[in-house]
Amino acid sequence: MDTLFRNSLGPTSWIVLGMIPPAIFALYFLKLKRQPLEVPSTYLWHKVIEDLHVNSLWQRLRKSLLLLLQLLMVALAMLALLRPGWQGPSLRGQRFIFLIDKSASMSTTDTADGATRLDQAKQRVDALVDQLESDMSAMIITFAKQPDVVQEFTNNKRLLREALARIEPSAGQTDLRGALELADGFANPDRVMNEEGDQDFEVTTQQDVELYIFSDGRFPSVENFSLGNLRPLFLPIGLFEGQNLAITAFNTRRNEERPESQQTFVQVSNFAAQQQTAVVELQLDGRLLDATELTIPPGGTASATFHLGGENEGALRAQLDIPADFSDRLALDNQAFAVLTERSDGRVLLVTPGNRALESALSTERANRLAKVEKVSPDLLEKAEFEAQSQTEIYDLIIFDQCAPKTMPQAHTLFIGRLPPLEDWQKIAAAEPVFAPQIIDWQRSHPLLGLLELGNVQIADSLLSRPPLGGRILIDSTEGPLLSIAPRDRYEDAVLGFEILGTAADGTRTFNTDWPRKHSFPSFWLNVLEYFAGGEGASLTHNRPDRLVELRVTGSAQELEIVLPDGQQRRVALDQPGRLTFHDTGQLGIYQVREGSQVKKQFAVNLFDREESDIGLRSRQDSEDGLKVVDSLSIGYVDVAAQSPTMRVRRELWKPLLIGALAVLMVEWYIYNRRVYI
Amino acid sequence: MPTASESKLLTPELLNQLERLELVTRKVFRGRMKGERRSKRKGQSVEFADFRNYVAGDDLRLLDWNLYARLDKLIVKLFLEEEDLHFYTLIDASLSMDFGSPTKLEYAKQLAAALGFVGLIRTDRVRIETLGQGVSERGPILRGRHSVWRMLEHVEAIQPDEKPVTLSEGVKNFCLRNAGRGVVVLISDLMDKAGYEHALRYFVSHQVDCFVIHVLSQEELEPDVKGDLKLVDCEDQDEAEITVSAPLLSRYRQTLNSFVAGAQDFCGRRGIHYFLANNQLPVQELVAQHLRRRGLVR
Repeated sequence: MDTLFRNSLGPTSWIVLGMIPPAIFALYFLKLKRQPLEVPSTYLWHKVIEDLHVNSLWQRLRKSLLLLLQLLMVALAMLALLRPGWQGPSLRGQRFIFLIDKSASMSTTDTADGATRLDQAKQRVDALVDQLESDMSAMIITFAKQPDVVQEFTNNKRLLREALARIEPSAGQTDLRGALELADGFANPDRVMNEEGDQDFEVTTQQDVELYIFSDGRFPSVENFSLGNLRPLFLPIGLFEGQNLAITAFNTRRNEERPESQQTFVQVSNFAAQQQTAVVELQLDGRLLDATELTIPPGGTASATFHLGGENEGALRAQLDIPADFSDRLALDNQAFAVLTERSDGRVLLVTPGNRALESALSTERANRLAKVEKVSPDLLEKAEFEAQSQTEIYDLIIFDQCAPKTMPQAHTLFIGRLPPLEDWQKIAAAEPVFAPQIIDWQRSHPLLGLLELGNVQIADSLLSRPPLGGRILIDSTEGPLLSIAPRDRYEDAVLGFEILGTAADGTRTFNTDWPRKHSFPSFWLNVLEYFAGGEGASLTHNRPDRLVELRVTGSAQELEIVLPDGQQRRVALDQPGRLTFHDTGQLGIYQVREGSQVKKQFAVNLFDREESDIGLRSRQDSEDGLKVVDSLSIGYVDVAAQSPTMRVRRELWKPLLIGALAVLMVEWYIYNRRVYI
Repeated sequence: MPTASESKLLTPELLNQLERLELVTRKVFRGRMKGERRSKRKGQSVEFADFRNYVAGDDLRLLDWNLYARLDKLIVKLFLEEEDLHFYTLIDASLSMDFGSPTKLEYAKQLAAALGFVGLIRTDRVRIETLGQGVSERGPILRGRHSVWRMLEHVEAIQPDEKPVTLSEGVKNFCLRNAGRGVVVLISDLMDKAGYEHALRYFVSHQVDCFVIHVLSQEELEPDVKGDLKLVDCEDQDEAEITVSAPLLSRYRQTLNSFVAGAQDFCGRRGIHYFLANNQLPVQELVAQHLRRRGLVR
C-alpha cells in the first residue's frame, strides 16, 4: 500500500461521518436563539452596535467562528482517519531483531548537527518501531565487543522506545559474531527434550525472524555461521569518506641508549583523502610535556617519539590537536593514554654459589627492564637476617641455585637442582638423581615455556621433580619430570631438577647441561622473569575497551577500589590473592587501582583500532552503473547486500492531525466559554 | 434622633457624620422664612449691612442714634437678613433606575434622605420630589429637625414609576411646580433616549443652583455579559441583539466614557455641578468626601 492515504473506514462509516458537517450546520442555525436579558437601557448598546456595523463582514466572521472551528475539527479528524503519510517500505514479517552497532566508530558525527551514527541508528529503529503492528514483536540487541540484549521480544512500543533511549555509545570494537549468535539463540530455538515424555519437540514454532543490522560495517566477515531462520537486512549508517585523524599507537619504553630515561612513541593515522597536519600534545598528569607537529599523508601514518627525560611516574596522555579547517568526525580516538612506571619493579633474588651462565642470562637488557636481580651467596641463607627478609614480601621471586633455605620464603621460588624444603615435595620425589634423561615433552602452552625448543638439550644428571598435588609437570623426560611447578598459598614454586653448573665428582665446577649454549636458555629465563616478576607490563598499557584486565597487586587487601576515567568508583573483590581481574573497562582513559586513598596502580585503556578509526563505509564499485555502493556483509555463506543508506520509512501524519483536531476542540471550547477575549 | 435611626435609609453612623454638615450654595437666594442663611433681603440679624436715609415709615428702632447725634441726620442702620434656603431633591424614579445592587433607585433615595437630613437640621426648606409627579402633585415642604421622620417616610414611599416619563417632561413639571429658587439636586441615570440636554436647560433657565448626580450601576459601568444576547430595554421594551466579544465590550466602554464625558462637559459649560456616582460607592463616603469636595455640603 504505497499510497498517500490509507483508508481505515468502511463506506457505511464514511456515510455516517459525512453527515456530521451538515448536522453541525443545522445545529448551529438552530442554536442561534439569543437569550433575552433585561437591561436598564439599551441606549448605550444601540450606539455600540451602530458603531460596530461599520466593519460588519469581520463581525459576521466572528459570529460564525465557532462554526468554522467545529468544521475544521471534523475535517482534521476525517483527514486523520484517512491516515496520510509519506511512503517508505512497510515492515513485513512477524518477528524482528534490531541489531544496533554501538562500537567506537558509531560515535562518529557525520552530520553538522552533531548527531552520531548511533543516534541515526536509534532514529531509524524508532521509525521502524512506529510501524510495528500489534501482532508483530521485536527485540533490540546492541553490540560492540560484547552483545547485549537491551529489550527482549515484545510488541510493546513503549518498552522498545525506552530500551532505545537507554542505549549508550561504547568505546569498544565491533564484533558482530557474538551478536549474531545471541540473535540466533532467540531466533532458532533448539529442539528441547521434554523431561517427562522423552519426546523431542520444538518449544516454539520455527518462525522467520527479520534481522535488521544497523552498523557502519567496520568488522570482518563472519565465518562459519548459519543464519537459520534469521533473514538479515543490512542497513549501513554513515558516509563513504571518513574524515578522521586518530592516534593508533602510543606506548612508552626505556631509551635504548640511555636506560635511565624513558621515551614515548605516538603513531597518528590519517583516514581522510587529503594530507593533514596536526599537532600531537603529550601531557603527564595534566601537565604539557611536549608537542610536535606531524604531517600525515592520506591513508597513511606518521609517528613521533618523545623523550621524557627524567619523568618516570605518572599518567601519560597524548592529545591530537585537530586543525580548525579539518572536521574530525570521530573524537574518541584523538587521545590515547599510557601509564609511566618504573618498569623494573619486580625484584628477584638470586641465591647462587656462582653461576656465570645464569647470571648473564638474568642481566640482559630485557631482563633488566623486567626486574631488578640481586645476587647473594648461599652463606646468607644461614643468617637470621635472611630469615627475616624472606618472610616479608620484598622479593617477587627467589631463585635458589644449588641450595635451599630452611623455611620457604614469602615469594615465588625457583629451585635449581634442589627440592624445596617442604614435605609435599620431599616425600614424592626420589632423592637419587637420574642420569642422562632425554627430554621428551614440555608444556608449550605454559608461559614459562612459551616459544622454547628444548628437544636438543642434553643433561648429565638430574633430580626428578615430581610436583605435589595440584602441581603441573612442565618438562618431562625419559626418566621422569625435570621441571614442575606447584602452587603454595598464593605463591608458586618451580623446581628445575637439573643443575646448570654442577659440581663434578672431583669437586670441580662444570656444566651439567649444554642448555646455556642453546637459544632457549635466555628465553627461558626471560620467561621466568616475565612470569614471576614482570608479569603485567603489557596489561598496564595495552588494554582494550570492554575486555578483561588482569593485574597483579601486592598487599593483603581483599577488596580494592578502582576509579574509572570519569571519576566513578567500583569496588572489586580479589578473587585470588594478589590477582585482580576487572571487567568494567568500557571507557577509554586511565584507571586507578586504590586501596584506601593510596593509588596502588594505574592502567590505561585505549582504542588503538584502525578498523574502528577508519570511519568511512566500505565501498565497492558497482559493476553495472559504476556507482559507489556500500560493500555487502558476508555472514557465513550469505552475502547480505547493503540497503540504500537513504531508505525512507513511512511517516504517518494521523497523530499530529488528531492532536491538531484536539487543539482546535480546545480552542473552540475556550472561545465558547470566554468569547470575551476574541 | 430615635426616629431616624430606625430607618434603613439613614444609619446612626451616617447621621453622626451628617450632623456636622450643612448645605452650601454659591448663589444667594431669597428665602421664605427666617432661617440661618444670608438672604438678599436686609433685615434683622447681628451682621451689619449698610446705612440708608430714613424715610417716613421706617422702624424707629433701626435709627442710628449715634450718627444722628454727630451729623444731625436720620440714618437707618441696615442689617443682613438671614433666611432659610429652598432645597429640592429630584429623584428619577423610572424603571431603569430599578437596577443594580443596591438598585440605583435605592441609592438615589438614600442620597436624597441624607441630603435632606442635612438641610433639615440647618432649618432649610427641604422638598423631595420625583420626575413622575404631575404639575399639580406637589411634595411636602419640610422644615426643621422635627420633620426628619416625615421626610424619611416620604422618601421610603417612593417606588419605581410604571408609567414612563421622559427626563425633560419631568424636569419641566418640576420647574412649573416650584417657583422658588434654591438648590436643586437631580439624581438620575440620564439614560433617556431623547437626551438629557433639553431637561438640564430648564434648570439653567430657572436660575437654580443645580447639581446633577449621575448614578450608574456597576453592571452598566463594567457589563459582565457573555454569549449571544438579546438585550431588552426595561422601559420601552426596545431590543438590541449583541454577540459579546472583546471589541464589542471595549466599544461599549468607549461609548459610556464619551456619554459621561459629554454630560460632564454639557453641565460644566452651563454652571451645573455634575457628579458621577457608582452605586457601589457608599452614600456616607459620597456625601462626606466627594460632594463635600464638590461644594454641595460643607
